[in-house]
Amino acid sequence: MAMENSLLKNPRVLLLLAGVIISLIFIYPHPTDDGIDTNLKYGLELEGGSWLQLRMQGAIIEMDADPSQIIQSEYSTYLDDKDLEITRVKSDSIRFVTTKDVTRPQIEELDYGTASLLKEEETTLVAISTTKEQVIQTYLQNYLDTEVKILQTEDGTAYEIRTNTSETQVEQVLAPIGGKLLNYVEGVSSETRDDTKQILDAKLNGIGLKDIPIRTIGDDYILIDLAGVDIATALRIAATPGKFEIRIQTEGNQTNQTAHVLYGDQITSVGIPQQYEGAWGVSFRLKDEGAVALRDAAIRYDATTEPQNHHLIMYLDNNEIFSGPLAAGLAQNIQNIPVKDLKAQTGMGEEGGQKAKELQVHLRAGALPVNVEVIGSGQVPATLGAQFKEQLGIAGIITLIAVALIVYRRYRHREIIMPMLITTFSEVVMILGFAAAIKWQLDLPSLVAIIAVIGTGVDHLIIITDEVLHKERGELPTERIFKARIKKAFTIIFAAAATTIAAMIPLGYMGFGALRGFAIVTIVGILIGIFIARPAYGAIIKHIIV
Amino acid sequence: MDRIDEAIDTYFNKFTIRQSIIIPLVVVVISLLILAATTLTIGTPVKLGMEFVGGSAIIIDTPQTPGELQAAFSDYPLHSEPREHGNRKLLQFESMSQEKQNELTNFAVKEYGSENVEMRQVGEVFGKSQQIRAVQAIVIAFLLMAAVVLILFRKIIPAVAVIFAAFADIVFAMAMMGVFGLTLTFGTLAAILMLIGYAVDTNLLLTTRVLKRKGDPMVQIKNAMKTGLTMTSTTLAALLVLFLISTISYLAVSSFTRIDIVRDIAVVLIFGLLADVMNTWMFNTGILRKYVIMPRGRR
Repeated sequence: MAMENSLLKNPRVLLLLAGVIISLIFIYPHPTDDGIDTNLKYGLELEGGSWLQLRMQGAIIEMDADPSQIIQSEYSTYLDDKDLEITRVKSDSIRFVTTKDVTRPQIEELDYGTASLLKEEETTLVAISTTKEQVIQTYLQNYLDTEVKILQTEDGTAYEIRTNTSETQVEQVLAPIGGKLLNYVEGVSSETRDDTKQILDAKLNGIGLKDIPIRTIGDDYILIDLAGVDIATALRIAATPGKFEIRIQTEGNQTNQTAHVLYGDQITSVGIPQQYEGAWGVSFRLKDEGAVALRDAAIRYDATTEPQNHHLIMYLDNNEIFSGPLAAGLAQNIQNIPVKDLKAQTGMGEEGGQKAKELQVHLRAGALPVNVEVIGSGQVPATLGAQFKEQLGIAGIITLIAVALIVYRRYRHREIIMPMLITTFSEVVMILGFAAAIKWQLDLPSLVAIIAVIGTGVDHLIIITDEVLHKERGELPTERIFKARIKKAFTIIFAAAATTIAAMIPLGYMGFGALRGFAIVTIVGILIGIFIARPAYGAIIKHIIV
Repeated sequence: MDRIDEAIDTYFNKFTIRQSIIIPLVVVVISLLILAATTLTIGTPVKLGMEFVGGSAIIIDTPQTPGELQAAFSDYPLHSEPREHGNRKLLQFESMSQEKQNELTNFAVKEYGSENVEMRQVGEVFGKSQQIRAVQAIVIAFLLMAAVVLILFRKIIPAVAVIFAAFADIVFAMAMMGVFGLTLTFGTLAAILMLIGYAVDTNLLLTTRVLKRKGDPMVQIKNAMKTGLTMTSTTLAALLVLFLISTISYLAVSSFTRIDIVRDIAVVLIFGLLADVMNTWMFNTGILRKYVIMPRGRR
């Protein structure tokens, strides 16, 4: 009894005890209706579910081009006018003179900006109000056939191309207008990444999946874990847009009487929420076909003459998401020509701003702002995950027994085997406790790492044991000799731990998906082993033989 | 004197220092030749698995035979014939376009039921980009390990002997991957990295005992060997259990299943540790014996 008491006063043993107790509190094993539950979190492989790894495709470029050259080249081709002449370039407008007979809608067709025309006898003077950045953005959009976003960076202006575009592709597009590509980086801006994440969040919430962990890695990768969702469903949610539809009220103010106008495939681009004279709104653009369909519907149901009585209503997957009248000016315009650029107004103040943000997501029909590529996906059925868990649990127990048999064959003293097994078992408990404390998701490789720790942890205990028992079996080493030997044993153990940690660092740092768990558990296991478990074992064994 | 001591004595009587250095060197050369031959035929020293070239694998719990499955999935680019592990059948596919992949996923889930389908897929471009990172990880891990060893011993010959022994372990394990048809997967990569850190443990024990302890080096070596062999046998036991449970346990217990990533890790570590027994107790021991006999060798 006296022996046990003094052992319990040893700080190293106390530390181990405290470690195990704290770990047990974190793990918190508690009985439930179907067995014993713990606070341990398991990864998808063990819980069942599916996962998606997405890469956002895009490029951020810095470039220089002369806007007047773009306008010259674009309009001389478009108007078939070789003599088109740029007359004046200001920071907010560009003017040119053409001999062709042109109209304002014609000029605006190319999307470079709003135009004003001054007809003279032989020629027409055209002024387009636009900026250099807008001209470049529009040019890139037209020729790369994708959305391009202007980014204001510390070094000036950059353009984000929102689809997979190679450096050569960009150079080819810039060549005809004498543009220079100054910098090309594959990827998207963090803003776009956050937008994408937000839209995914909205979509998953939309189908009732709350609190789905969506993680971003760097600026380019998004990882989604969907517990309890099969992979086919996961792909459908993340990779395909919803069904967007605009309908129009046919009878005055009776919302249930509506007629189809167009579907989401007619929307080519959606702007970011902006304030127009205090009211928030989102601009979007229709295809020619869609613009005609809208005009026909507006005229047929008198929305051009009585806009207030014939709201346009937007639906996403058959849920109403927006309802509003045609603006007075727009109603008049639409009477004359099909209008491609539209704005949906959502109201004033913060609420209007929030609504505009949501509407922007919906207008995209849940389509993501950038193209995403599925770089990895998978699923493990829940029953199989449970099977993996059970099997590895059994493997852990058998391993412990096998190791116990081997050390027993070697030492044949229960006084040595029991502390060894208890120390090893404590190490496992502490690793699990650590995992529970930081809410680490245990996956298959992590569990393998824990079992490997049983193997390597025992190794270190064997080093300590042999060092201490060395040559003088039967003779009791004095306390001084004992201390020196323990020190030597720990030199080897620390060295062995250092090399293993060194080898695991690249894995933990570079993080090959699932392997981070393996590296982190191994490193944590080693640290717990050398700082808590093995010193305690040293103290216990000293007690036994001194 | 127990049986282990006797065996160790017999071993040292049987092999000369020269033999104990040359035999492991021959094994290293053969391993390197295997890796070189593999590189010449397929372009990489070990065959790359799905994680590093892209593609997909589907494991279906179904009574259908591999032949029936091959017919059912004939629309998709099967990489090899379906394999059978108990009731679970493994189908591997080459990478395909995203649309085709989605179609395959939907087909498998619909046809066999989501609860019976395990699948994983890796994009081709992404997979290939991981190749460089895998090489980087192995090289960095090895250099870090070597740095630790050099700092520990501060003597060139013993340190290099330890580093070379670790190198020989890894080369042997990789060569055996080729011989037994294992591919480089996340599992085997993790095992190779683990081996880098772990294979030096017994070498560290041996070299520290010989260099830093007073007394007859031969006695130190024999003592270290006894400790080291006990260490290796416990770890091998743990790995063997993992290997059996993850690979063939389903033959004995029908509800059990193969767990490939676990098997991968276990197999590579087992080969590495077997090589380590030879490289530590033949090669490194031989070098150390020569080193301590040399007049300027000791301190």
